Amino acid sequence: MYPTKEICKQLSDQELIRKSLQEVDYFSCLYDRYEEQLLRYIKRLGVEEEAEDVLQEAFINIWKNLYAFDQSLKLSSWLYRIVHNQVVSCIRKKKSFGKDQKDTFDEQRFADLPDESFLDTDVLEEKDRLTHELLEKLPLLYKEVMVLKFLEDMSYEEISDILKIPEGTVATRINRAKKAFRKLSEQYPIAF
Amino acid sequence: MKPSEKLIQAIKEQEIKPVPRWRFTLKNSLLLGAFLLAVLLGALAFSVILFAVQQTDFSVVSHLAHSRLELFLGLLPFFWIIMLIIFLIVAIYSIQYSPKGYKFTTAKLVGYSAALSILLGTLFFIAGGAQRLEHAFALNVSLYESVQEKKVQLWSMPEDGYLSGQIEEVGMGTIQLKDFQGKLWTVHHESAFMPPSVLLERGEQIKLMGEMTGKGEFSAQEIRPWGGFGAGRGKGRR
Repeated sequence: MYPTKEICKQLSDQELIRKSLQEVDYFSCLYDRYEEQLLRYIKRLGVEEEAEDVLQEAFINIWKNLYAFDQSLKLSSWLYRIVHNQVVSCIRKKKSFGKDQKDTFDEQRFADLPDESFLDTDVLEEKDRLTHELLEKLPLLYKEVMVLKFLEDMSYEEISDILKIPEGTVATRINRAKKAFRKLSEQYPIAF
Repeated sequence: MKPSEKLIQAIKEQEIKPVPRWRFTLKNSLLLGAFLLAVLLGALAFSVILFAVQQTDFSVVSHLAHSRLELFLGLLPFFWIIMLIIFLIVAIYSIQYSPKGYKFTTAKLVGYSAALSILLGTLFFIAGGAQRLEHAFALNVSLYESVQEKKVQLWSMPEDGYLSGQIEEVGMGTIQLKDFQGKLWTVHHESAFMPPSVLLERGEQIKLMGEMTGKGEFSAQEIRPWGGFGAGRGKGRR
């Protein structure tokens, strides 16, 4: 019997973990709570079609490793970490089968963009969309920190916990990613 | 069916169980144990390196012919240096894969592990453990050549100007020396430089630099205590 939305809402992350270990149905609350943001994250990393499957597989791993959860971490950081690993493994699989979709970047659309002096809402929306497409062009190493920092709005500490790298390395990687992004954006008639 | 319900159904159908807590605890304990053990063994290796360095006369290098330089370099404790590097790598690896290991940069991990090994190793060396450990190793590991053995080799080349042994008798300007192979030498030392720490007494162990002047005759230019550079009293050869 799945717990109702109301019951799920009343329980904290820690309580949900504890309850899930007693009764697996409570694990669905955890899924529902983080589904939206984790799906968005998976898609932002470039996995669109298989996003749902990746999330399902990630949650199975989360379930298997529930006892490994370190209480000193934020649950969201730990979930992002496992989801991230699942995405990386999915991207690697796709690459090894030659199905990498990274080259779908629409260069023609960039060329057709009006000059930035004509900025209006449509252009801003287009700019936002193109930002994502530009991010797609970045290597995963840079894309992941850019997505976590600027789209998921994570702190350096959270990014460090998700990617399992020191905070100093996070800072360095973000700097390099920003430079790479800027360099990439200079090739197109739009100011970022 | 909601995706969350699909997930729970998959878990139930495939009877997927969470990995028990003890498995994670065991893994983390093993990593911590490996780190501590590696740091400790690294410390022991470092203490023997200190001991070997203490026993090596670096001032001899400039006097040595190229062919003998190899022998001198052989005195350097490469075995222990390699051991120290291996244990450092094990320590770094084990802490890096511990739950919080990713928080440290590789440089910090190397620094902390090395600092711990150096600190503990120095304490062990000061307590005299390094010499005992090296001795035990020489006794029990047949392939291992001890620092002392190598040192005796270097200082048993009278034709090249290096001699060592135990004083048997002290005369006017000469001493009778029994080298470590048991051969007797008459050593002339009137013009030899001798640090105050050297006592020309029966039973003292010394090393000499000079020239072989004949069969069983040696003219010393410098006399040092066997166990050191000349700054302190030698501890004697085991």
